[in-house]
Amino acid sequence: MRTIFYTTFICVILLCVNAASVLAQQRQVTGVVTDAEGITLPGVTIAVKGTGTRTVSDVKGSYTINAPGGATLVFTFIGMQSREIAVGTQQSKLDVTLQNATRDLNDVVVVGYGVTKKRDVTGSVGSIKGSDLNRVPSGNVDQLLQGKIAGVQVMAPSGQPGAAATIRVRGYGSRSDANALVVIDGIPLGDAGDIKQVNPDDIESIEVLKDASSSAIYGSRGANGVILITTRKGKSGQSRITLNALTTVSTLGNKLDVFRDPVEFATINNESRINGGEAPQYVGQKIGDFYYPSVAELRGIDPSKPKWPYYTDWAKLVYRNPVSQSYTLTTDGGNDKTIYAISGNYYNEQGLAIKNGYEKYVGRVNLEQKLKSNVTAGINVISTWTKNYGQGLSVDRNIIFPALNNDGSYFHIGSNDYGNPLQIANEVLNQSKTIDLLSSAFVSWDIIKGLNLRSRISNAYGNSISDNYQPRDATGTGYQFQGFGQLSNYSANHLIIENFLTYDRDFGKNHHINFVAGTSYENTNVRTSLIQGQGFVNDILKNENLAGATTYVVANNLTRTVLESYYGRFNYSLFNRYLFTFTARTDGSSKFGDNNKYAFFPTGAVAWKVNEEAFMKDIPQVSELKLRGSYGLVGNQGISPYQSLSLLGSYKYFTDGGFQTGYGPPFFNDGTNVNGKVFNGLGNKSLKWETTRQLDLGIDIGLFDQRFTISADYYYKHTTDLLRLNQIALSSGYSVIQINDGIIDNKGFELGVNAQILQGELSWNVGGNLSINRNKVLNIGGGNSIEDTGVIEAIRAPLNYFINGQPANVFVGYMFDGINQVDGNISPVDNAVQKAGDIKYLAGGPLPVGQNGEYIIGNPNPKFTYSLNTSLKYHRFDFSAQVYGVQGNDIFNFSKFTPSAQLQRWTPDNPSNVYPSVNSTRVNYASTWYVQDGSFLRIQNVNLGYNFKPNALKGISNLRVYFSGNNLYTFTKFNPSYDPEVGENGQFGGNYRKPRAYSLGLNVTF
Amino acid sequence: MKKLKYIALILAATSFTACRKQLEEKPYGFLSTANFYKTEADANSALIYAYSILPDLDYYSRNFITLTEAPTEDMEIAAGKSADNVLLDKLAATSVNGTLRPGFQLPYVGANRANLVITYVPGITTMSEAARNEIVGEAYTLRALHYFNLVRLFGAVPMHLEPVDDPSKTNLPKSSIKDIYDQIISDLTKAQGMMDQVRHVGRINQVGAWGLLSKVYLTLASAKDTGSPGYDFVASADDMYAKAKEYAGKVVNDQTVYGLDPNLSDIYDVNKKSGPEHLLDASTDRTGTNEGLYSKLPKMFMPNLNFKLPNKVFVPGGFNEFLTEAALYNSFDNSDKRKTELIISTIYDVGAGNSPFVGTPQNLSITDAYTRPFSNKYNDSGWQAGDQTSCNTPILRFSDILLVYAEACGPTLEGYNAIKAIRTRAGLGDLPPNLTVKQFRDAVLQERSWELCFEGQRLFDLRRTHNMENILVTKYGKTITGDAYFFPIPQSEVDRNPNLNN
Repeated sequence: MRTIFYTTFICVILLCVNAASVLAQQRQVTGVVTDAEGITLPGVTIAVKGTGTRTVSDVKGSYTINAPGGATLVFTFIGMQSREIAVGTQQSKLDVTLQNATRDLNDVVVVGYGVTKKRDVTGSVGSIKGSDLNRVPSGNVDQLLQGKIAGVQVMAPSGQPGAAATIRVRGYGSRSDANALVVIDGIPLGDAGDIKQVNPDDIESIEVLKDASSSAIYGSRGANGVILITTRKGKSGQSRITLNALTTVSTLGNKLDVFRDPVEFATINNESRINGGEAPQYVGQKIGDFYYPSVAELRGIDPSKPKWPYYTDWAKLVYRNPVSQSYTLTTDGGNDKTIYAISGNYYNEQGLAIKNGYEKYVGRVNLEQKLKSNVTAGINVISTWTKNYGQGLSVDRNIIFPALNNDGSYFHIGSNDYGNPLQIANEVLNQSKTIDLLSSAFVSWDIIKGLNLRSRISNAYGNSISDNYQPRDATGTGYQFQGFGQLSNYSANHLIIENFLTYDRDFGKNHHINFVAGTSYENTNVRTSLIQGQGFVNDILKNENLAGATTYVVANNLTRTVLESYYGRFNYSLFNRYLFTFTARTDGSSKFGDNNKYAFFPTGAVAWKVNEEAFMKDIPQVSELKLRGSYGLVGNQGISPYQSLSLLGSYKYFTDGGFQTGYGPPFFNDGTNVNGKVFNGLGNKSLKWETTRQLDLGIDIGLFDQRFTISADYYYKHTTDLLRLNQIALSSGYSVIQINDGIIDNKGFELGVNAQILQGELSWNVGGNLSINRNKVLNIGGGNSIEDTGVIEAIRAPLNYFINGQPANVFVGYMFDGINQVDGNISPVDNAVQKAGDIKYLAGGPLPVGQNGEYIIGNPNPKFTYSLNTSLKYHRFDFSAQVYGVQGNDIFNFSKFTPSAQLQRWTPDNPSNVYPSVNSTRVNYASTWYVQDGSFLRIQNVNLGYNFKPNALKGISNLRVYFSGNNLYTFTKFNPSYDPEVGENGQFGGNYRKPRAYSLGLNVTF
Repeated sequence: MKKLKYIALILAATSFTACRKQLEEKPYGFLSTANFYKTEADANSALIYAYSILPDLDYYSRNFITLTEAPTEDMEIAAGKSADNVLLDKLAATSVNGTLRPGFQLPYVGANRANLVITYVPGITTMSEAARNEIVGEAYTLRALHYFNLVRLFGAVPMHLEPVDDPSKTNLPKSSIKDIYDQIISDLTKAQGMMDQVRHVGRINQVGAWGLLSKVYLTLASAKDTGSPGYDFVASADDMYAKAKEYAGKVVNDQTVYGLDPNLSDIYDVNKKSGPEHLLDASTDRTGTNEGLYSKLPKMFMPNLNFKLPNKVFVPGGFNEFLTEAALYNSFDNSDKRKTELIISTIYDVGAGNSPFVGTPQNLSITDAYTRPFSNKYNDSGWQAGDQTSCNTPILRFSDILLVYAEACGPTLEGYNAIKAIRTRAGLGDLPPNLTVKQFRDAVLQERSWELCFEGQRLFDLRRTHNMENILVTKYGKTITGDAYFFPIPQSEVDRNPNLNN
């Protein structure tokens, strides 16, 4: 009884006290919770600190809670940084913005066949949230990764809409296929470079698996890194409709270096032909039926002729300020049984060149349903349609003649001229359309506590149709064939069946294990066909009536490849301090030779979370200190099917009144006039994968509850058995054979830093990353050096070489030794007698290339690449900026002798030692004269946004507008008329120009 | 326990038994040596494939003509055209010259294809012996042709007599010039005994093998006779002349399938490819889909203007790369039909486009830097406005063998009669009587220059008669840099074949 009494007493007292305080101070506080972009957040837990009072924000992000004045409210939400805010004594309204918890150690990271917490990662995984991608027009995802993740180099030299990029993860480690593997929502899609299947607005996160331990789960395709893209899913407890719109106006990013004065053009042209031993053209003469005015006539000082009336500014005719648009409409949400995300995107990018552009539609459905308490099933479908049309157009055309004749037809300079860019833009049909359908369905079964089986069947279908028609009047090809039409089809189907078990369990307080074991079977069919028609009665039907052609070419092809694999990953965590990972995969590939069908790739990693040690508890400032190390083998099987077999090809011969078909070792035309045909078909039964051994040592440091973080990695990649086409003796009757031969090393250092300098109302974040890679060819096989490509016509020699002991792709040539000031020097290159004004070469270099020895004259590999970003948030404004830099690479600039440089050419009156004379027939050899420093620092992106007050408009819960500027300015010593971004081989020969883009964006959530 | 059973079941169902068979490569859409060379149709098709290399752009439809004509006084390369070709023209080709590379490689590609036929077709038992012999005989002849080209262009080179079907077989050392000629003679001797005399356009038969053999013997004979470098090994020039006479004599006297075409321009008429002179042509047709199936060779000779030919055919502009040299042009007698009919010196309707023929003439001057009289040997009367022509490149012609016969015979009645037939057709009188052997053979050489110009013979004729310096340097004032008698083996072979000089 006494007990009951006391209890009742205490309760009454407590009730009274509580009631009294309610009466005195308790008030309702209301407000809206949003994320950094102003999107309202449903499901946020709001608690009064130190009490049990809590509530959850509703669908519109609104909440109401009873709190005493002076109390502190705690806002928590998964994936966001928690915030604690004191309520003012009279305050009844409190709108709160939660920041993404990008630095939260509880973040999950996708690692392939599973996820892991960031703090438990043992390997090297770069990660970026979809919301951190720059908001710029981009037809594919690749370019958005530029500068975002340390160790990931993105080279996108072309500004053409829809142009592909080159991605290298930790350097260039393969001669056959150095591209990273792209995996979209678990579907291994293939090479990175043109990830067009995903709408950037749909991306939840992108992870890059960089070290052996992380990428080994993809075995024989992991050696060049793996890019995992995860699309957004719905969240239960919400239902949203979001519209993202982006409109962009672009301008030419660089000043053009073209002739602007017909007199200058004609003078230099005449001088060039005279120096080249040809008759000058611009002397007021007819050549054939075509009249070339004299320089005097162009000047208007020829008394017998009127001043030449024409001057064409091609850039004005050919370039424009293109407008691009992107709209994404998303609806997502769910309840405790079902989650869904459905989105559609329309993307339309115009090119700088007229009649050139890219269009894309992406639709996506993601649906997951809980069938039973322990069984979930789901589907994920992404469909993409793209259309690429038109072409880049030249603005270097002769300015003396008009673009059009008086009757409106296109002007041709002489009878064999088909380079009128206006005509090419208007009359040449050049279009390709693609459809991609990525679909997957899964069932996930929690069998017993901690044990899950997931079965997934996925299919990636891709189709492209390319149309080409070249009228007889517009191009050389069109003229040659009297109309040239082509229709080509490509379709690929990639089926993947996967089953994997995941077991995740704690054993006692000190042991945690997580293992994944699975199998997969992949079957790829690629089917191509081509119909070409040559010779049409007229050009009206374009390529829609190929049956009307005089001559046809028909070609088709089918290849099938199979990959069957077993993979597993075992994670063990001891005392939550010592982490061990073992990952392995066995791949059996049909591409490999009979002698080497199966490949096994084992890796291991360890990590030590120093900050969890007892002796670190005294240093609470250190929120994370982790040491990581991993080592293992990963492979690369980037070769075409059937290379291990001796194949036959077919060709025709005209005899007995018709073409007869013959079969024998095949050849193909490599597309260059110089190298001509490539004879192949010699099989190699021992063909196998490339093997990369990689060591990774890393450290992660976090200070002050992760306000300052540093992550650094050293890696050493040693790639052996390089798959490459070996040039073989001409006398064998073949040109090339696929072999495993050679060793390339990549060593590097990666650093990522981030500092949340200010937090609160004004927040300021600064981050950056640095990638240093040193590439070295240890053994190229079969000799000391090999050229990357065949002879380049402009320099009559190959340029890029792989040389033992040197970085990949170095330039080989002669030293520039000034300009000959007198006639009669003997060139050491070809023993020719040189004239004054010719480039003087220094031969006698150490390389046994050329008749007198050549030098390594340049290295296209950057010393390092880096990126810095900053973001500021104040009240409803936010600002962010990113700069991206490449340092210490050489460019071989084929376009060095620009019109403005030609004005400074060597002449007897201007004995330049910098620029040679102009000469129409001289071929300059590769020399340091062409080599320029390619370093640059670009203001990649600047973004300024404003978030309107939530629910400010009826029916609109969030509204954000922003301005985004892309490619705003580039600091470089390279030729200012060009963008210095080049491809991997460092060659510059005039790319499709990169636009400077100004975008206005709008995000609305209903 | 029950749950564990389920798990076991699921794992069993979802895994698959590893099956090597899954991973076997079945080449869909490709034939491989494993499933070919089984039937007569396969054999025919393998032979067709061997022939199909001949009209390749990098062989007889362009490169071979550049290699064998540009260095001589027949033609020069226009300034500003391919620098490699200009260097060839200036007799200064080095091992890195890009034109030499296909000139070296393509014969090997052809020889490898012939070797496949020679190796695999004898094993096909489902066809008649005669058919098999015909195919294998043609393959032997083709192999001999390729090595005859290689040895005359480059001298000692590797010689593959088996198909290269394994990476270990790709690098052979050089065979000596003697060994190569021995093999050529052995192949041709074998081949001529296997073939019949049935004609197929673009293919060779027994008579062709005789003709080729006579040229091989004549090359050895004249090279030994004149002391041309590299031919010291030949035991007796006279024996070789006798052999050349024997086999050329078979072509001239012992068959009725071929003969001299009475009308010069008919030889080059694309509608008369079955004419009596064609022992072997690199066969093309303008309905082909690629260069190599059709020929663009005529454009190499023609001015870069749009104009009409005397036969009213519209030419939409040539490449103007091969310019006739004054040395050759002025050496003709003005009444020589080979100059008046086979070299075009007047064109019509220049610049008028593809309009009806009006006939406004324009005369071409041999001294002009750009537009000169040009060969009419490559000219397709059915030429459409595009670039495709049906022009075959002659490889072996009857008049060539008739002149081989004359040269082998020397100043005998047979010799005089043979050259007389050629000169009469060209509208020229007889050679002076009672010439010495040397005078006569020099006259035949001169006759060959007029008769066979632009057909890929002149360089070999000058080399085998030790005349490179006498004619090109002394007579025509050219400069020769490097070896006049053999081109250097391309650097890309030197770099890739470590056994080359073993």
